[in-house]
Amino acid sequence: MTTAASPPLMPARDTSGAHALVDHKLVTSYFVASFVYYIIALLAGGLYSMQFLQHYPFPGAELFSPGRIRMLHTNGMAYGFIANAFLGGLHWAVPRLTLRPVLSAKLSWFIFIAWQGIVLGTVGGLLTGQAQAVEWGETPVWIDPVAVLGLTLVGANFLASVFRMRSSMYVSVWYFIAALPWTLLTYTMGNFFVEYWIGGTASGAIIGLFIHDLVGLFVTPIGWGLMYYFVPIILKKPIWSHGLSLVGFWGLAFFYPLNGIHHFLYTPIPMFLQHGAIVATIAVEFVVTTVIINFFMTLRGSGDALRRNLPIRWFYVGMVFYFTTCLQCAFQVTLTFQKIIHFSDWVVGHAHLVMFGVFGFWIMGMFTYLFPRLVGATRWYSDKLNAWHFWLSAIGMLIMFFDLVIAGLVQGFLWKDLAIWEESLRASMPFWMIRSWSGLGIIVAQFLFGWNMYKTATDRSLRAA
Amino acid sequence: MATTVNKKKYKAPRVFLIVMAVGVFITGMYGFGSKLEQFIRAVIVENEADFTLIPVLNYMFAAAGFLCLFGWAAKNGMFKDLEKPKYDMLEYDRELDEVDGIDWEKQA
Repeated sequence: MTTAASPPLMPARDTSGAHALVDHKLVTSYFVASFVYYIIALLAGGLYSMQFLQHYPFPGAELFSPGRIRMLHTNGMAYGFIANAFLGGLHWAVPRLTLRPVLSAKLSWFIFIAWQGIVLGTVGGLLTGQAQAVEWGETPVWIDPVAVLGLTLVGANFLASVFRMRSSMYVSVWYFIAALPWTLLTYTMGNFFVEYWIGGTASGAIIGLFIHDLVGLFVTPIGWGLMYYFVPIILKKPIWSHGLSLVGFWGLAFFYPLNGIHHFLYTPIPMFLQHGAIVATIAVEFVVTTVIINFFMTLRGSGDALRRNLPIRWFYVGMVFYFTTCLQCAFQVTLTFQKIIHFSDWVVGHAHLVMFGVFGFWIMGMFTYLFPRLVGATRWYSDKLNAWHFWLSAIGMLIMFFDLVIAGLVQGFLWKDLAIWEESLRASMPFWMIRSWSGLGIIVAQFLFGWNMYKTATDRSLRAA
Repeated sequence: MATTVNKKKYKAPRVFLIVMAVGVFITGMYGFGSKLEQFIRAVIVENEADFTLIPVLNYMFAAAGFLCLFGWAAKNGMFKDLEKPKYDMLEYDRELDEVDGIDWEKQA
């Protein structure tokens, strides 16, 4: 293919050493930490699912009680797996996009170590019963100020690169500079407002905002930012429309933040807030459409990459799942739909598709593309193991999603018909069994990938000459 | 660089861009406007201001910041050539990869 000959934007830039811009060891460390927490969080999820089958292996053990293990699963995924992977991805992408190193290499390492301390402290706090009563914000209260300080340092470290840029910003950079303060504000809102200042139903509204904004203002912008970086780089062609990508970005910036209350339809929160959230959510669907169209138009003429390029396959399958979740959103925010699916396993299926099927898949695409290069290998130890990793994960995810969606509908209709509670439990049991088996498939897939990572990093025959 | 990107090939039709931008703006503003109108009504008629103040202020705070950022970007000419950054980033990455000894032509 042909490449651009655009005039240099920054004549004074120094690309004499890509290693001088990106600390490969730091990115590798983030990815390894992310993967370790990922395995722990997955195992916690698998363990928790056994409670539903009445085969929980630690009955009566307070330290490993199912409620605490569930928090380990959700918090481990958010702060251990996703946050570490994103920080690693940012340490790769931001300096390469801005052609400026981060503020301080020492600060980067300090943040890395401090972040692992925060996650480990959270794990310890959750297992010893120090959780806050905030969904996804259960991090113990003594962790919160440290986490806020850490997020401030993260922002300063990356924004220093951005502010030293002298050119028009690429859409990924827009997403990153938005996500850094957004994450800080969202974390502060969810973990401090409810704990210290707001009570009652009002706190429900804040928690709704917190959960949703954590997905929409932390995970989504960094996820999309990384996608806008990696997809063109791997396909070796620019994104279809940069203008359209900016429409998506500014649409997200202005119209996303008040959607969170759609998680609390039919609650004592005033109906005008619930109605507003419904309308705003449908508006955001338009934003999502721009992003989806842009990426699929970029793939036009390069469709074969889906077959021969595994990272691209991870990215685009994740994108199909993203479209599916957004389509679900458009329906499930309506009051009509909520009458059936509220509190049911439908929501659990949706959450798993978002966090694992979308962002987990994108992270796996990023790992698959970067890991051999980071550890100085010329290729992966085994392409076959990588293929197994993909197919077991994708099939496991699909089965889990459809299983939980159907389970949610069965539960919802039984409850609507005022069936006795035990009847809905009995009806759910086969679905919960399938969920556990599909989860097992996903866990096995990650162990295969972990082995492949280990061998790729240690096999000397894979080193570049 | 020896070769050049066929920029026409990687450009979305302008009319499509405008339609999508207007679509996002109208639906978004409809959501925002109806929320604001209902908020004001709640403050005046239903006296529920305390309850709703935090989420609404939170949104206003974030939106104001982004409005400033948008103004700053427009003033600094960030939107003069909307498509240029996508070619530049690809070019930079290619240069960095060449330093690392990675040949894009072989990878493509």
